[in-house]
Amino acid sequence: MRLFVAGLRKLVRRPATYVTFGLLVGLLALIYIAVGATARQAATSPNGGRQALLLVTFPGAYTLLLSFILGLGGLFAMIYGAAIAGSEWTWGTLKAAVARGESRSRYQLVSFASIGLMVGIGLLVAFAIGIVVAIIAAGLAQVATTGLGDAATVGTLPELLARGWVALGEACALGFAIATLARSQLAGIGVGIAVYFGEQFAAIFLPDIVKYLPFNAANAVVATSGSFSGNGGGGQALARLDPNTALVVVLAWLIGALVVTALYTERAEISG
Amino acid sequence: MTDGHALATRGLVKRYGSRTALAGLDLSVPAGVVYGFLGPNGAGKTTTMRLLTGLIHPDAGTIELLGRPFGRSDRHRLFDVGALIEQPSFYPYLSARENLRSLAATGARTSRARIEELLEMVGLRDRARDKVQTYSLGMKQRLGIAAALLSDPQLLLLDEPSNGLDPAGIVAMRETLKGLAAAGKTVFVSSHILGEVQQLADVLGIVAAGRLVREGPIEQILEGEGRIRVRVARSEIDAARVILDGLAPGTSAATTDDDGWLSIALAPERAADVNRALASAGIYASGLETGNDLESLFLELTGGDDTASHEGTFFGTAGAGSSPRGRSGGDV
Repeated sequence: MRLFVAGLRKLVRRPATYVTFGLLVGLLALIYIAVGATARQAATSPNGGRQALLLVTFPGAYTLLLSFILGLGGLFAMIYGAAIAGSEWTWGTLKAAVARGESRSRYQLVSFASIGLMVGIGLLVAFAIGIVVAIIAAGLAQVATTGLGDAATVGTLPELLARGWVALGEACALGFAIATLARSQLAGIGVGIAVYFGEQFAAIFLPDIVKYLPFNAANAVVATSGSFSGNGGGGQALARLDPNTALVVVLAWLIGALVVTALYTERAEISG
Repeated sequence: MTDGHALATRGLVKRYGSRTALAGLDLSVPAGVVYGFLGPNGAGKTTTMRLLTGLIHPDAGTIELLGRPFGRSDRHRLFDVGALIEQPSFYPYLSARENLRSLAATGARTSRARIEELLEMVGLRDRARDKVQTYSLGMKQRLGIAAALLSDPQLLLLDEPSNGLDPAGIVAMRETLKGLAAAGKTVFVSSHILGEVQQLADVLGIVAAGRLVREGPIEQILEGEGRIRVRVARSEIDAARVILDGLAPGTSAATTDDDGWLSIALAPERAADVNRALASAGIYASGLETGNDLESLFLELTGGDDTASHEGTFFGTAGAGSSPRGRSGGDV
């Protein structure tokens, strides 16, 4: 428990926590405000401007907002996980803990647990801010917000957010594992970003395979009527897993990433 | 394996690919002493430190920590060991106090009072709230020593602990480590700075090319390694050499270096004899130094390939002052 609390304390004090969260929320606000300001004119165009209005029309806006956070947030969660895990090697803090007799795998897994909690808190706060921003955007687009209190949709939000948390946790665990294998923050972030965009690119050619890959599966854990971020932000309507299958796939990726992290750290020769 | 030893290794071997870093290291570190682990760069000192803290694992051989075997599954043994390996490792965005608290959450339980006590001891109390990224190298090193002492360890492993410390910091560290040894703890200090080790250590181990080449109490090792150096006018060097050779019959002849210093293998206690003999012959030395020539012994044992080892190697008993090579002595 003391290791978990210490991990949380480190994350709370870490600038990367706020930079990552600030970037996500900043981009979310920017895009929603831009959409709100232009949605009314776009809706009159023949090329599907009505889709833009859906983003700010409640109650459907709830799931589209969550989908947006999972798409862009997945990338940020992965970068965040890579930054935390990589710095343990580059700063030598993992070395210091191991030299004190701490269990290597326990240290890594508990560190990830504290990151996972921070990601969960970040998801909740980003979602809350997103709702406020979506209401503002709805006002700009002159769309009524009467669906905001739709009981049926609001009732599903806890489950959707829990699924979203698992999806972001998976992306974070992947970044964590990659940076652990690379023993470097920058290498972890670089490889993670390459995997993220590589997956989107591969989706064009191998959609039936790519839908099982981490980011696409993560985006499918929340069923949406539209696809705002759909395939990791790509916005294309590609083959998607059904939400429950996606959840199983995402959990498999998450657990797999943590197992690899723990095993590698247990066996690693720590130097430098 | 080794009764009464805080640390012992037998036949320790470590290879990195085709390179052998340790080729059968046998160390015996008695409990309650400061053990100086000397060796040139690349001799295997840091590899040994990493092995002793479980960061890496040996290809062959055994390690015994505090009287019990230490292997892959014995990490709890490190609860009684404190270590500073290579450079100190901290979260740069956290303060000294927060870093120590984070570290205290790992390994053996440590109280908050202990953290405050250590911050006071290493002189960082006033800066304890500042982020470590604003610290100088010396301050980080002091914090590293505090981190090593966190769990009040029975065995302390320090790799080049004086790195970056100012003279006052070095003196304070030396006193602290000697105090710990006096209190029954064992301090294992790795260094390539001979003078530092000579002032600090009770027992010396010299390693070269991954093997222990000499080990024992420092007085015993330096016995017969005493040297006296005198500086005389250039015109009097030859006459002075004859006098010095006469004082040490049967030993190697006095030698001269480029700075005009004559050096002879003699016990430091005979400095007055040297001074008197030269003065009797009308030769007045402008400088006189005494010491035990650990440098010569070190270079002889290690093959003399370590330029860095020439720092501070000749500690005198004749007074203040120092030459460019770190020898101390005094004008007479």
